[in-house]
This record gives sequence, C-alpha cells and structure tokens, in this order.
Amino acid sequence: MTLPTTIEEALPVGGVAAEAVAALAAATVIGTFVMLNTALAGPWAKRKITAAFTDRISVNQFGPLGVGIVVPDAVRLVSKELIVPEGADRPAWDLAPLVLVFSALFAFAVIPMGNGVHLADPAVGLVFVFAIASVASLGLVMAGYASNNKYAFLGGLRAVAQNLAYEIPLILIGISVVLYTGSLQMSEIVATQRETLVSLGPLSVPGWFAIVNPFAFVLFLVANVAEVGRNPFDVPEAPTEIVAGYQTEYSSVYFVLIYLGEFVHIFLGGAIIATIFLGGPAGPVLPGIVWFLLKIWAMFLFTQWLRSAVPRVRIDQLIEIGWKRLLVLAFVNLFATATVVGVLAA
Amino acid sequence: MSLQRQPVGETPDGLDYDALAELLDGYVLDREQHLNCEAFVIRPDDVAAVLSTLRDRAAFDHLSLVTAQEYRDRYESIYHLKKYDDPTQELSLVVPTPRDQPHSQSGADVFDTAIWHEREAYDLVGIEYDDHPDLRRILLPETWQGHPLSLDYNQDKPQIVPLREHANPMEGRTDVADRSDTMFINIGPHHPATHGVLHLKTVVDGEQVVDIDPDIGYLHRCEEQMCQQSTYRHQIMPYPDRWDYVSAGILNEWAYARAAESLADIDVPVYAQVLRTMSAELCRICAHLLAIGTFALDIYGEFTAIFMYAVTDRERIQNLLEELTGQRLMFNYLRLGGVAWGLPEPRAEYLETVRSVMAEFPDRLEEYHNLLTSNELFQMRVLDTGVLPAETAKSYGATGPVARGSGIDYDLRRDDPYGYYDELDWEVVTDDGGDNFSRALVRLQEMEQSARIVRQCVDVLADWSGEREIQSDVPRTVKPGGEVYRAVEGAKGELGIYIRADGTDTPARFKIRSPAFSNLQTLEVLAEGEYIADMIATLGSLDIVLGEVDR
Repeated sequence: MTLPTTIEEALPVGGVAAEAVAALAAATVIGTFVMLNTALAGPWAKRKITAAFTDRISVNQFGPLGVGIVVPDAVRLVSKELIVPEGADRPAWDLAPLVLVFSALFAFAVIPMGNGVHLADPAVGLVFVFAIASVASLGLVMAGYASNNKYAFLGGLRAVAQNLAYEIPLILIGISVVLYTGSLQMSEIVATQRETLVSLGPLSVPGWFAIVNPFAFVLFLVANVAEVGRNPFDVPEAPTEIVAGYQTEYSSVYFVLIYLGEFVHIFLGGAIIATIFLGGPAGPVLPGIVWFLLKIWAMFLFTQWLRSAVPRVRIDQLIEIGWKRLLVLAFVNLFATATVVGVLAA
Repeated sequence: MSLQRQPVGETPDGLDYDALAELLDGYVLDREQHLNCEAFVIRPDDVAAVLSTLRDRAAFDHLSLVTAQEYRDRYESIYHLKKYDDPTQELSLVVPTPRDQPHSQSGADVFDTAIWHEREAYDLVGIEYDDHPDLRRILLPETWQGHPLSLDYNQDKPQIVPLREHANPMEGRTDVADRSDTMFINIGPHHPATHGVLHLKTVVDGEQVVDIDPDIGYLHRCEEQMCQQSTYRHQIMPYPDRWDYVSAGILNEWAYARAAESLADIDVPVYAQVLRTMSAELCRICAHLLAIGTFALDIYGEFTAIFMYAVTDRERIQNLLEELTGQRLMFNYLRLGGVAWGLPEPRAEYLETVRSVMAEFPDRLEEYHNLLTSNELFQMRVLDTGVLPAETAKSYGATGPVARGSGIDYDLRRDDPYGYYDELDWEVVTDDGGDNFSRALVRLQEMEQSARIVRQCVDVLADWSGEREIQSDVPRTVKPGGEVYRAVEGAKGELGIYIRADGTDTPARFKIRSPAFSNLQTLEVLAEGEYIADMIATLGSLDIVLGEVDR
C-alpha cells in the first residue's frame, strides 16, 4: 500500500479532495525526507567523509560532531548575492537549476523506501525512474549553454556527451533486471528479490539481484558513477580544467539548487541500486526504512571515497569506456541474462 | 650534430679558449675575462652564426641565459653558454650594440629558449632583436612606455594608458585566425589550475588545444632592480626567498650566496656548508612535495587525499626548517660566508628529530607511489602525454626535474659541485619517458635522494668534533668588481645569477636566470595538439611558480 492511500484512509472524509490532500501530504513527506538527507550530506557528511579520507578534522563546532553546521551553512548559501552574467539567456538560465533538482526529486516518487513510505507504484515504475532522471541532461545543456560562458559551454557539452554514453548501458542493465523479475513495477521488483535464493542451514540468502548477477551489479555501479558525475567520471565539472563546468556562472540560491540537484542525484542513484540490486528496504531485524537509508548512504560513501582516491579520466577516455567497453559488456550481460532466464523458464 | 667528432676546445683539463677563438676566427673582436669563464666579444650581426657554430662544433648545447644591460656608451647582450654534459665548461658571448641604434641579431633560430629571454631583454632593457619571431613585451603590459632597466628611464613618469588601449586587454591575439570550428579561451589569470597568476591564451578545437600562448608578468615585482639598489652584504639576501616562494627559499638564497661569494672571493667554512646542504635539501623536499600535491590536484580534482597528505608531510619538514631558521616561508637563513645561525639548542635533540622525520620519509613516499605512480588510472592519464623529447628540452634550456624527466642527466649539485654535495653519497635521478609521468616520478625519487643527503648531513653534524664555525670573516661592506654568472640546482632547475660589479657596494646589473621561466616556455610545444585536461596536467608537471617566472 502506498503512502497517499494510507493517508487517505486515515482522513475522516473521502472523495477527490481527500485524494488530492493525501497525495500532496505524501509528496511533501517524501520530498522533505529526501531533502533532509541531502541537507545532511552536502554541508556536513561530505565534509566529514572527505576529512576522514585526508586525515583532517573538519566541522566540529556546532552540535554533536558538528552536524549543526547545516543551519549556518544554509543561511550563508541563500543570503549570498545572486550574480547574473551579462548576456545570459534568461528563462533558460533560470530554469536550469530547477530542472536539475526536480528531475532527481521526481524520480523518488516511485522508489519504495520501506514501511509503507512509497509515493506511487505505477506498472512502469523502472521506466519512469530512468526517463525522469535523464531529464537532468536537459538541465545540464540549458545551464551550459545559457550561461554565456565558455567554460560553462565546454562543461555542458561534456555533460551531454557523458550522459549519452552512460545512460544507454544503465538502461540495458536495468532491462536485464526486468527480464529476471518479469515486471517493471517497483514493488514487484522488490518482492521478487525477497524470495530465498539458497538456504545455508539457518541462514537463507535472499535473491537480491546483486547476488544473483554480481556482474550486472558492478557494471551498474560504474555506469551510475558516471551518471551522477563523480570521480573518476567528473569531467563535466572538472574544477582544475574548466573551472566548474556548467555551474561556473551560478551563485547564491541557484548554486544551492544545482548543488542540491547533484546530491539528490547521488541519492537517487543509490536508491535505484538499492531497489533493483539490493532488495530495496529488505534486511533483517531493523525496520525497512532504516535498511533503505543505510543502503543509499553506503552508495553516497562510495562516491565520496572514489572522489578522494581515484583520478579523473580524460574526456576521450571517458567516452571510450562508455561506448566501447561498458555498452558492449551491458549487451553481453543482457543476452546472458536473457538466455539464463529463458532456459530456467523452459 | 655531425658524427662523433671531438668538440672543439675540449681538453682533459678544462676548456681551451684559444681553440674556441680559433674556431670563431673572424668573429671574435675581443676577449674578456669574466670570473666564471672567458667572454668573446662579437658583432651584433654575427650572433646566429656564432651560436650555431658553437653548438654544432663545440658542443655548447645549453643557452643558459641571455642578459641585457646598458652602459653609458653602449648596450650589451650576453649569451651565457654551457654544456649539458659538463656545465663547468662555460663561454659567454658579449654582443655590444651602439646606444643610438640598439639592434642585434636574434639567437632564436639556434636556441628556442632565446625567444623568451630576448623578449625579456627587449622589454626591460630595450634592445631590439632583428629576425626575432615574436618580439613583444613579455613581463610588462603591451601598453608600457619605456624600458625600466635602461639608464635614461624616468621612474617618476606615470604610466598613462588611454582607455581605448584597455578596451579588451584579453582579446584574441594568438597566431591562429578565428575560425568557426575553433574557440579562443582565456585560461587564467584566475583559474584553479594555473598555480598562480598565469594567463594562457588558448585556442581550442573542441577539446583539443590548437594554440597556446602563455602570458606572464602578473607577478613581476622588479626583483632584479630591487637587488640592483641593495647592498651585497645584507640587503639582497632576503629577496631570493621571494622568487620561488613555495618552500624553496634556501635553495634560492644559495644561488645569490654562490654568485656573490665567488664575486667577492669569500670562503665558506665547511661546517656552514653542511648546514647549507642540509637545509637546502629540506627545502627541496618541501618544494617537490607541493609540486606532487598540486599535480595530483590537477589530475584527481579538488578533493583528492594526496594533496592533503603532501601538505601534512611538508608540514613536518617545515617545522624542522622553522626551528632551524626561525621562519616558515621567508627563511633568510644564508649569509655571505656562511649561515645566520647554527643548530638550535639542544642540538642533539634537534638532530634526533630530523633523523626520525627522515627515517619515516621513505615509508611516506611509498604511499605516494601507491596512490600515484602505481595507480593504473593515473598511468592512463599521464603516460605518453605532454612528451618533451630531450633535444627539444635542450633547445628550450629546460633544467631540473623537467630535463631529468626527459632523460637529460644534468644536475648542478653533481656536475658543478658546490656546498658539501661532493662529499656525500647520493644519485642523480633521470627517466627517459619525457612525459608527465616521468616528471612526477623523477620528483618522487629525488625526494628520496634528498632525504638520503639530509640523513648523511645529520650524521656529519652529530659527529662534528672541530670548531662549529658558521660564518667566515666578511668585511662589513663588500665592494667587489668584475662579472660573474653562477648557478645552483634550485627546486625547479638551474637557478643562476649574473652580477656585474662596478666597485660600489651595490650591483650594477643583477640578472636572475629563473629555471621555471625556461621550463614554462616548453608548454607551447608540449600542449599543442593535446586535450585541455592533458595541457593542465602538463602545466602541473612543469611545476612552475609564478613568483620565480615573473620575478
């Protein structure tokens, strides 16, 4: 049962109005939940994690472990002057940050987070996620092109080239999951993975797709890092090469929005991986939502780790890895899965 | 170079200047005696012919420096020639030109490094070099009026530049015509990867660099002129710290100390030489650590752990230097005839600290090798990018880790010994790759050698039984005479200083040969045709410090 339905049933009245109120309330809950994670990740967790990798201390003055930095940081970021570059293509330039944030946020609508926190469960859930998440490319082009800045332009071009090269393998690997589950519905994908794969005495290993097909899992991990633009695939920003890429000209609130979009994207990547490879909110003892959080934060940690320790590849190498290696491997994985599933079915 | 002929003038016991004069018969007008070598006076329109003869027949393959200066009656360009095989074999070419017509032939056809050196001579002194491929100002803005180091330059006259001249100072101005498929882009002067205020006028075709023109001078602080206005004994020594200011201070001070000491014939006690050697090598480690750290930053992105590791390790050594010299950045430790202070008390404790830091250092280096040189992704990025062939490197006067990364076995600490180096057991590191990887690798291995030198110096100091003399007797006022060019192995390469003394207590001409200046010049060759990312990596691997480039 999805969250809006739960709320609607709890409401004293029924009808269309109640349905709308329930949907809005549920969306607010989930949106806030995701943003809360991002707020924690951006100003605090990222700093703490990077500091741990580089033998430093980082924020430690406000609140336990310095977590209170989130508040002054938010105030600082939104109170900065918004500088609009001369010759910026106004509507596009203003819309780009919004597109970036909402493309990521929107996709969370179909992610089952456990304990009934699930906004919608359409039959085409997985397709919806990929479709909405790829709208971000549009935001990147808009930001890069509308800024009227050569670095932003280069960054925008890089971002598009990268997203094209890595989204196709991403979706191909997604299809191999669908072959296994037989459904695009998110709840169905999670349910399939709950079945026991093998029993080792008292321990029963669940049929998580990461365990069933680790090859696809690794491929997806790699493609996902490129999709969210983190080392070794952070060429669209590449601060030492093209200053900050498509986000060079954004300041103040727009910068916050772009940054927010990036972090929500990282969490979305984690959420997709958790849902289609790690059994979604499944896990022993603890409630589902805790497990879900653990899984997406683990993915966040993974991207930050790469950032501290792995060099950035060059743009031509990035494209080559995408089209010549990852795409081929994704097809191999698809055919192999199709064959295995076909044989098992027969 | 023709066959395996014995270069003219090379004899078992040094250079035979008579043979060289004979080789240049008809060109040599006069022979002068400089303190470091002999100088041949030649006519201004024979420069290219003489340089190419000397390069091809007498193996003078290193144009170390071009000095320009003005006398009351003439201008003079001096070409300081050396050999990469043996830098103690030196020869200077003095090219006088009349005051009313300061035209001299360019040496840029023979040595590429002359392009920038002659531009600087034109910019600051005002000598015009005929047939020069690109005679523009280099350190000062294009709109500057007059030549600041010429004698009749009026320093009080304000530089009034009309607004129209500054309508768009960043405008194109590259060799490549505007085409629809290329884009002109200003990388710098504010850019995360230019390691200071460097401005690269770049033309890119998509992601590839078509043309690049480094625009320097943003950090020009008239260092040469300030030294010319200061007294030898005390006032000049603080300035070298400000050239290559990222920890290489003592290495720079040594360049001045060496030139001034040979000019004024000052002896340095052995104990002070050991102290100089130890502190200079500590500086070299610091400088190389920062070079490696920022290079990693260029390749990894701003959140890399390597940079912080490098800064942490550098901090340990910086603490040692602070205890020794009392300063962390501008050490001002060397004095003419020795050093300012002996070891801090308690002596044994300090030596023990140095020893323990140096003992740990090889393990720390192992970490950099794990993260950098043995990292496959890193190798994928830097192997075979920014390749500098040895011949090109020589023509551009590249020295230091840049030259050694191209397989040129050239290190003044060994080839032109000074200090305490020839008493110690260490090796010159070279690598034949010539690419960004080799330059990083050479720096990493050089730090290991430097640590070795420091450890030996500590042993010598600990076992020192004689008198601990840190300075020789030097008169309060030094008034030397003559001309000298002396160089030491700085952090970036051959850091040389030319001084013309005229019997007063300040130099008549003080010229700095900055290794980073010559090394940066190779960027034009290294970067063209490369990807933007590789160009940035190449710039990082050249390890320039703009304070030293611009002076």
